[in-house]
Amino acid sequence: MLFFRSEERVREWCLKRGLPVRPLVTLDQLWGLAHAWYSTRLEANARRPQPDEMRRIFAGLGLTGAFWDPQADKF
Amino acid sequence: MEGVSGGAAGDGGVSEATPELRVKLAVYRHFADSGLAPSVAEIAARTGTGVGEVRQTYARLRAQRVLVLEADGESIRMAPPFSGVPTQHRLTSDGVTYYANCAWDAFGIPAALHRPAVLHSRCDASQEPLELAISAQGPPSSDWFFHCAVPATKWWNDIVFT
Repeated sequence: MLFFRSEERVREWCLKRGLPVRPLVTLDQLWGLAHAWYSTRLEANARRPQPDEMRRIFAGLGLTGAFWDPQADKF
Repeated sequence: MEGVSGGAAGDGGVSEATPELRVKLAVYRHFADSGLAPSVAEIAARTGTGVGEVRQTYARLRAQRVLVLEADGESIRMAPPFSGVPTQHRLTSDGVTYYANCAWDAFGIPAALHRPAVLHSRCDASQEPLELAISAQGPPSSDWFFHCAVPATKWWNDIVFT
């Protein structure tokens, strides 16, 4: 889970390692993920999102498809 | 405890909490206050429990994927979003230095603290520096990207690599 300056840099990084290019995420989308996961992390009632909740969070940010499915059997 | 709300005892119910919850909150409060991983002795003192009990609780929290421990079973490698070891994702907030486990967690630290932070990281391909002043409402407009090589279903197969 890394930062990249551009889509071209992502492609370079993946090619060098023989890895497929995965969906690109904007920093606004990343903030949505970080806020959903961690905004209550210091509180007594904090808990990690469960699979159904994860799917809703991803879909709400426009992140859809098997890559984002925590229970996908494709991968 | 700061950051804990609700509860008849006025402490978010922490005084009646399970050992796992008391230890987890103490670990996270230590990271939030100092940016550093606490020792087992510090958590034992903070929670009023024995060092051995804290180690046993750490093992349960590891099984619940709350903590990632080093091989010694007591050094905290990760209490997401906080990292117990220096990484390429460094943040400063209110004079405290923090390290994040990954790019996602780099945004997770200001989200968890509910206060602004300055992020110092880099493009992993070109090594170009990334510096972002993140407010409590999020990052400024940016054309950088986040990329994750591992699909969600495999994130915890090797969380350090992920």
